Amino acid sequence: MNEVSLLYNYLAIGGVLFALGLIGFLVRRNMIVMFLCAEMMLQGISVNLIGWGRYHGSLGLPGAWGGQMLVVFIITIAACEAGIAMALILMLARRTGQLDSAAWQDLREEGQPAFVDRQVPEERTEDRIWPQLTPAGIQPPFDPDLPIHRPRV
Amino acid sequence: MPMLLAALPTWEHVLRCPTFWALALGALGLWLLLPTRLRFGNGLGSLLVAVAGGLFAYDLPHLGNWLDQSVFWILAMVTLGAAVATIASQSPVYSAIWFALSLLGTAGLFLYNGAEFLGVATVVVYAGAIVVTFLFVIMLAQPEGHSPYDRLAWGGLPKVLGVVTAGLFVGLLTFMLGRLKDEAAKPIAAEALAQAHENLVANDGILTEKHVANLGRHLFSEHLISIELGGTLLLVALVGAVAIALHGRPRLDQQIEEALR
Repeated sequence: MNEVSLLYNYLAIGGVLFALGLIGFLVRRNMIVMFLCAEMMLQGISVNLIGWGRYHGSLGLPGAWGGQMLVVFIITIAACEAGIAMALILMLARRTGQLDSAAWQDLREEGQPAFVDRQVPEERTEDRIWPQLTPAGIQPPFDPDLPIHRPRV
Repeated sequence: MPMLLAALPTWEHVLRCPTFWALALGALGLWLLLPTRLRFGNGLGSLLVAVAGGLFAYDLPHLGNWLDQSVFWILAMVTLGAAVATIASQSPVYSAIWFALSLLGTAGLFLYNGAEFLGVATVVVYAGAIVVTFLFVIMLAQPEGHSPYDRLAWGGLPKVLGVVTAGLFVGLLTFMLGRLKDEAAKPIAAEALAQAHENLVANDGILTEKHVANLGRHLFSEHLISIELGGTLLLVALVGAVAIALHGRPRLDQQIEEALR
């Protein structure tokens, strides 16, 4: 296999993955999606490092394992980050009741104008379709005394 | 080996480059796909992004072997396509699931490049732990699923700026690596190929049979202090997460008041 070409391909794919994560982090408002996009940027960097490791290995350089070592540490840091971010996001969501990062715009600098949504688009009907599980097992007997509607899961 | 900046571009050079058109079309397609989505944004945006991906793949240097090339293209397509769907999905649950698929593609890319342990670790740690944890967080924090702020971006201007920034970023990156690409396009001698393969499957090479043993040896000899620091960092993050979660919980009298309300 052409190793230089493989290196270039991995660098290009890693760069595009990083850029997609960057777009998502800048554009989306849901805190969970922002976090996933941060992880996606880390993935792009990992792809780059793995490509470099392979290339240096094909040249027979002594530091060829360094790329994979760095990715081991990236995974460690990502796990730490996920733990902290989960606790933070749960706490923030409990305070405001939503995952919107614009709900915390009170923390902006003094003199900055507030961000106001122009118009909220209506949810289309084709977006309201949820995945359905195929029914399995025995249907339990219907008890009319039990409440049918659960307001909150 | 010099790898930066083949030559200063002329306009003709830029306009004839498929990567330039791939980035322009991809940026336009992403602008259509991202929320706030236009009426026909979904289909048109997907089409534009697919065309852009095809152009981008067309401009990548060939790996020299159709089997390798097709495996690489499939893995890259899964990774990048799922990444686009992650940032374009309006429901965070679908975003998380698409991100898991993107991680599977990345793990395939790792496996393909001789990082077997890291490919498996990515699936286990990311897709197995992080994405599932975040699905739980979505379930706890946003049980109704769809929300208005997922249908909105920050507004028109930040969306345009984000897409343009990312397009310029990738364009600058591929442009700066121009000489590496010229190098990759040259035909390669059989002896150099054999030498590279020999280096890779040597006793300490990346593709050796004792991959995990070698990885562990390097990890616990050259990077011993780093791995200790990494373990300490995990412990600190664990304590910090518990502290934050307990601190954020409302007190008992507030809970009772809220339950009675």
